[in-house]
Amino acid sequence: MVTTTPYRSSVRDPRDGFAQLMLSEWTKLRSVPRWGLTMLAGVAVTILSGMLVAGGAGSSGSGSDGSTKGISPQYRDAGDYVHRVLLGDGSITVRVASQKNNDPWAKGGLMLRASTEPGSPYAALMITPGNGVRLQANFTTDIPGSSGRAPRWLKLTRQGTSVTGSESADGVTWNKVGTVELEGLRQGAEIGMFVASPDALNLRRQFGGEDLVETSNLGEATFDNVKVEPARPQQLPPWRGGGERAAPDATSFSLAGAGDIAMYHYATDATETMLTGAMFGMMAIVALAVLYLTSEYQHGLIWTTFTASPRRGRVLAARAVVLGGVTFVVGLVAAFATFLLASPMVRKGNAAPPALSDPQVLRAIVGTAALLALVAVFSLAVASILRRGAAAIAVVLLLLLAPLVAGSALPLAAAKWLERVTPAAGFAVQQTLERYDTAIAPLPGLAVLGVYTALALGYAIWRSGRRHA
Amino acid sequence: MIRTPLEGHAARPSPGAGARKTVPRRDDLGPLPFVASRGMEATIEVRELRKSYGSTVAIDGLSFTVRPGQVTGFVGPNGAGKSTTMRMLLGLDTPDGGVALVGGRRYRELRAPLCQVGALLDAGAFHPGRRARDHLLWIARSNGLPAKRVDEVLELVGLTTAAGRRAGAFSLGMHQRLGIAGALLGDPPMLIFDEPVNGLDPEGIVWIRDLLRRLAGEGRAVLVSSHLMSELEGSADHLVVIGRGRLIADTSVRELLDRASDGRVAVRTAQCLEALTVLAVDGATVAAGGPDSVTVAGLPVERIVTLLSDGGVSFSGVSEHRPSLEEAYMELTRNAVEFHATAGQVRAW
Amino acid sequence: MRHALRAEWTKLRTLRGNLWLALAAAGLTVAATAAATAAVGTAQCPTPTTCFEDTARLSLKGVWLGQALVVVLAVLAMSDEYGTGMIRTTLAAVPRRHTVLLTKAAVVVAAVLTAGTVGVLGSLAVGRVVLPINGFGQANGYPPLSLADGPTLRAAAGSVLYLALIALLALGVGTAVRDTASGITAVLTLLYVVPVVGAFVKDPEWLDRLRRFSPMTAGLAIQATRNLERLPIAPWPGLGVLAGYAAGAMLLGGVLFMVRRA
Repeated sequence: MVTTTPYRSSVRDPRDGFAQLMLSEWTKLRSVPRWGLTMLAGVAVTILSGMLVAGGAGSSGSGSDGSTKGISPQYRDAGDYVHRVLLGDGSITVRVASQKNNDPWAKGGLMLRASTEPGSPYAALMITPGNGVRLQANFTTDIPGSSGRAPRWLKLTRQGTSVTGSESADGVTWNKVGTVELEGLRQGAEIGMFVASPDALNLRRQFGGEDLVETSNLGEATFDNVKVEPARPQQLPPWRGGGERAAPDATSFSLAGAGDIAMYHYATDATETMLTGAMFGMMAIVALAVLYLTSEYQHGLIWTTFTASPRRGRVLAARAVVLGGVTFVVGLVAAFATFLLASPMVRKGNAAPPALSDPQVLRAIVGTAALLALVAVFSLAVASILRRGAAAIAVVLLLLLAPLVAGSALPLAAAKWLERVTPAAGFAVQQTLERYDTAIAPLPGLAVLGVYTALALGYAIWRSGRRHA
Repeated sequence: MIRTPLEGHAARPSPGAGARKTVPRRDDLGPLPFVASRGMEATIEVRELRKSYGSTVAIDGLSFTVRPGQVTGFVGPNGAGKSTTMRMLLGLDTPDGGVALVGGRRYRELRAPLCQVGALLDAGAFHPGRRARDHLLWIARSNGLPAKRVDEVLELVGLTTAAGRRAGAFSLGMHQRLGIAGALLGDPPMLIFDEPVNGLDPEGIVWIRDLLRRLAGEGRAVLVSSHLMSELEGSADHLVVIGRGRLIADTSVRELLDRASDGRVAVRTAQCLEALTVLAVDGATVAAGGPDSVTVAGLPVERIVTLLSDGGVSFSGVSEHRPSLEEAYMELTRNAVEFHATAGQVRAW
Repeated sequence: MRHALRAEWTKLRTLRGNLWLALAAAGLTVAATAAATAAVGTAQCPTPTTCFEDTARLSLKGVWLGQALVVVLAVLAMSDEYGTGMIRTTLAAVPRRHTVLLTKAAVVVAAVLTAGTVGVLGSLAVGRVVLPINGFGQANGYPPLSLADGPTLRAAAGSVLYLALIALLALGVGTAVRDTASGITAVLTLLYVVPVVGAFVKDPEWLDRLRRFSPMTAGLAIQATRNLERLPIAPWPGLGVLAGYAAGAMLLGGVLFMVRRA
């Protein structure tokens, strides 16, 4: 038999590593013009709807939305405050003689703050009708004391930047409640008595939906035995604030004030509102991700892919990396553009508008890109498992949208539960404020979606190596 | 000159490639029915291959070898198992038993497989929205092939001018050319084409015939499937014929034609009866082939001419009967069992 | 026409996926209703008698979810023919294209009406059983659901009609875009995303406008049986809005279907 010299490929040094696979998948992705257009359309719709929603959202009315001027809508910093400047260390003692019980969180007590500017650092020792004695600072610190109510003695002592709160039933034996550190406290600090009472907010189910019912409260409390003791001798300025001008040496006060000095859980999240347009972009990306995979089956191209790269799991992994990466970049562009174009359109309330310098806002924007990237990879994985475009899209969209749609019809508790355990939890990353209807914190929410994505992708990769395509 | 593959290597040293190519270890592959030698480098081999889909047996103990330097036709009716065999060779399906090897290895173990095996399975396999050049580019990139290979193969199949057009707008013939271009990207020593002639016009058939001959002439192993033997006429050197997943014949084309022709000679004459009488001599079988022709077996041409001239029978032509490949194939499948008995490769239907 | 109808019916019937989709649509409707009714109780209201809960509407809530599968079924009815290339066979057999589209619509609507009726009746049955457990019983002024009650009958029949109109909308879009993935995505975006994003619109006037013109919120007004004055759009006009969308989509799909090459 005639045997010929076997041929040898003239191609030198071919390689089929992961980098080559990624480059190959990128070539695939970019070379179908329709897909690029879909992506662009997704970006455009995201920005436009973000602008549209921003225009129609925000606080209705002309600014009296209850928010405190100039600070994040996450916080309320309002009430009745009688104060004077204390230079350096010292203490203030008072007896809260009485307090009106109109809310468990009505507040009456002592407050030391860096200045009277809203949002400035503060430490407050207070009595509440329902939650006992508390030492709170800077909206987020909350140290419980005894469960005693008025009448009760309170003392706030400044030493450098630390402020210590103590309480006493008789003004003789004192118990320490706690100590807080106030960054940025200068030589002079405002000290005095305050009264506040949050609006009563109730979720009420009626007419097949839940309504938030808000009623305003006026907190009242009387104080006596006020004593300011500076560590360093000084001439104390007169008391300021409060309803009527108090005498310089007054030792008893009666204050009444609405508002609250605390976190506020009912504010409109302007950033999240703007970024909801990303949901339209997400739809385009889901369709694109599913098509990117199922079109190969539809056109028989999958055999070409598997002949060129027999290690199927790696092909899918490369695909996921490329698609996720591209979606992340595109999503980042869309989210930044939405924010820049839509935030000027948000109707101005009292509260400070969201700014890029706010880490929460930045997290929401970058998180939106990550959300879209995860959704893309999740869709790809589901498509790879189901291999049918119609089934994959229906499953992904139901998992992502049904919890949100159902949320508008179900009681809040059920809706929150759904938004915690389904892939829709990923949308939490768009939040910048903590609200009464927040189901899950931003990063854990994204992590839930991440877990779904990882499981789906892992299963898809495991399976792709197993079944004959 | 007859050269063994081993000598071929000695004559053309290429140290890098030789070192990278390792003989598969037995424990890698499970029990192999042979020890791979360096000569297996460009050989496609199927051994005792079996595959069932549910209760349907698609491939039933199939064995054959595709050698370098030849075009091997892979023939059988539709549903005989050709595509299934090719898919298993390409690692797209897993055999239930036996092995399908390319260059002595299982396809899935190949690194940068495009440089070893090129395949055309389905000419319609492309995204209609992608440009032809981009289609080849992503394939090339997956194996780290330089982009200039894309232009080279486009040139080779004559699609250079259509490179920027969307594949969806291509004609059937252009699809085939694009598919073949994809198979040639890695300049591989082994090629597997599934029905490459399907849908081609006569010009395209000639083109592909020449291409196959040229590729084999360069020393590549070429496996071409077809359900029509006539499509392989003039291109195949060797034939593997299967039916219902089993081997019917594994033979060279020359051998098959010789066997089918059987030394028969056709005589064209108006005097059929006279010719029959004159030629009915010892050792000859004579039969009327039609109104004006007679078929003779067992006599050389010169003797026939002498006999006719001596007998005074006028004739207009004497020619050796040359069966077409198609006829030989029909003959073969008709006598499948007998053929096997003589070839020693019998598997009862 | 009759032959074309039979041909379309055979096509729909012989694809096993369609049967499963129809069954799943009915099943998902009932299951979602069960979840919704189980999650709501009088305990969430100020008092059981001031809940003003629309129990019929609550029991038909599953349609929100079931419609997604109706969309898949209806889009596939046309886009799958393009995906598999069968459209050429279809048009070779029935060259008049409007006949193809109309018969396909008739067959899909018939299938959806059947599945929808099963889903809606099942949902009402579930509601009838589950609701009293959560306090929506006779004692608190909630009579058991009954189709003999006019508004309830309207809500139930209207929900089935709603599903049929959604199917037509989806079929129209599927015919227009010819691609399964794009078709399903487009319709589900229109149905779900618009209301979800709309929830962020705080301006009550804009919100009402959005609810009046979004096909799902407008169409589902048909499910309301009480407190009709609180609806952004009355039941029948609401279904009319959806019918407008469906007609528009069918018209667009039909025109494109007529003028395009297959």
